[in-house]
Amino acid sequence: MNSDYLTFENVTKKFDAVPVVSQTSLGISQNSLVVFLGPSGCGKTTLMRMAGGLDLPTSGTIYLNGEAILGPDRRRGMVFQSYSSFPWLTVEGNINFGMRYRNDLNAEQRAERVQHYLRLIRLEDFAKSFPNRISGGMRQRVAIARSLAAGSDVLLMDEPFGALDALTRERLQVELRQIQAKEAKTIIFVTHDVEEAVFLADRIIVFSARPARVLHDINVTKVLGPERSLATRETQEFFKLRNDVLHMIRNETSNEHD
Amino acid sequence: MNELLKFRGKSSAKANLFLGTITAVGLLLIWELVANVGIIAPQFLPAPSKVLSTLWSMILTQNLLWHAWVSNYRVLLAFSIAAIMAIPIGILMSSYRIVGASLEPTIDFIRYLPVPALVPISIIWFGVGETTKIFLLWLGTFFQLVLLVADDMRRVPQEYVEVAFTLGAKPRNILTDVGLRAMGPTLLDNLRITLGWCWTYLVLAEIVAADSGLGFVIWSARRYVKTPEVLAGVVVIGLIGLITDQLLRMLHRRMFKYL
Repeated sequence: MNSDYLTFENVTKKFDAVPVVSQTSLGISQNSLVVFLGPSGCGKTTLMRMAGGLDLPTSGTIYLNGEAILGPDRRRGMVFQSYSSFPWLTVEGNINFGMRYRNDLNAEQRAERVQHYLRLIRLEDFAKSFPNRISGGMRQRVAIARSLAAGSDVLLMDEPFGALDALTRERLQVELRQIQAKEAKTIIFVTHDVEEAVFLADRIIVFSARPARVLHDINVTKVLGPERSLATRETQEFFKLRNDVLHMIRNETSNEHD
Repeated sequence: MNELLKFRGKSSAKANLFLGTITAVGLLLIWELVANVGIIAPQFLPAPSKVLSTLWSMILTQNLLWHAWVSNYRVLLAFSIAAIMAIPIGILMSSYRIVGASLEPTIDFIRYLPVPALVPISIIWFGVGETTKIFLLWLGTFFQLVLLVADDMRRVPQEYVEVAFTLGAKPRNILTDVGLRAMGPTLLDNLRITLGWCWTYLVLAEIVAADSGLGFVIWSARRYVKTPEVLAGVVVIGLIGLITDQLLRMLHRRMFKYL
């Protein structure tokens, strides 16, 4: 695997004088789902936001396909936990949002893409519904489809399933793996939920408490394989890996003096 | 019925209308009764029936509807000027710190000045004509509204703005495609509320040497202790307020169906 698709080179971020991310270098290969895992407030979100171009590193550079990231654009789409879909637009309108800024698509192609992504997230029947009429899980699916429709190559997801109930969450995790396989996208997924991380990830990067440094780099696909289903959660391998990662995180947080 | 008595219970539109009407009619009945018993001299408290018949005869003989129109026109003109200025300035204050930081202290200062205290200076500046009235109404509305608009814009979740950027929106798209859309409902609410405040300054503005408008009607009736006419003028203001408020609420429901 070439891990030079999305690369962090000596990235440091300070807010005022407080270091949030310190000297982080990391390469992420195309088409993989990488989970950033770490204690709350450790700086993993900041690292991901910098990949989106929403924050800029204090020093160091992030490259996508060899090109330095200097600001946000449609190639790297964000999915947040809350306020994820625009309430004033229908499901269809939300999916169409980013395409309005693209000159390379005509009206027909846009309509086709809207249909394609509606099918992908299985919300054809809710095309004309407003977000407050659909469930929280559906809203997150809309946010994912909206990013993909806009034409993003990388999805940056900041605890997107954090506010959902456990069952919806499990289903969405399975679905996210399927979407990623079908659409062949690179995904960075930030979470502090170990079980979620192990289930979803091709690779888990475990971060230290603030300022964020890479503590562990775990190849999950090597252990669990690329296919994940609800049954994966009941395998020995899954339990073992989850416990290992849990211990890494516990050791890290117990070092904090608070 | 049960639901109506429950803490934070629900109520139907029908029940709301019914309860609202009962209270209003009940108060009117009590007022009518008290006035007719004769404990209070009619110069102080004429019966509502008397106020209503006076209102009718004022429409027929004193051009009351024309006065109401003049007042309404002044309010709408002053309010439109205030809104047309406040919306862009308020949005800029929250979008660019340089505008916000420059304007906030001054606007806050003027906002706390009582409008009546500025009547003398506005007469010195603009005389006793139409300009003074519009100026006073504008003064009472603009400085309140601009801060409310700034607040509406500030409360647009940063997530919407950031998501839009990562969907390919440019800074020039953000205002129209995200900012205005997200702040729309609260903006219309604030316009509705400040329009009400604008009416409260109307009487003040029309007392200052006017020869038309509801404030003028009320003030000149007072001079001859024509209490029914005073109250009739007040009732007309109340009715106009009620109607505009309902119209704007209807507009709100139409425009923001997704809420």
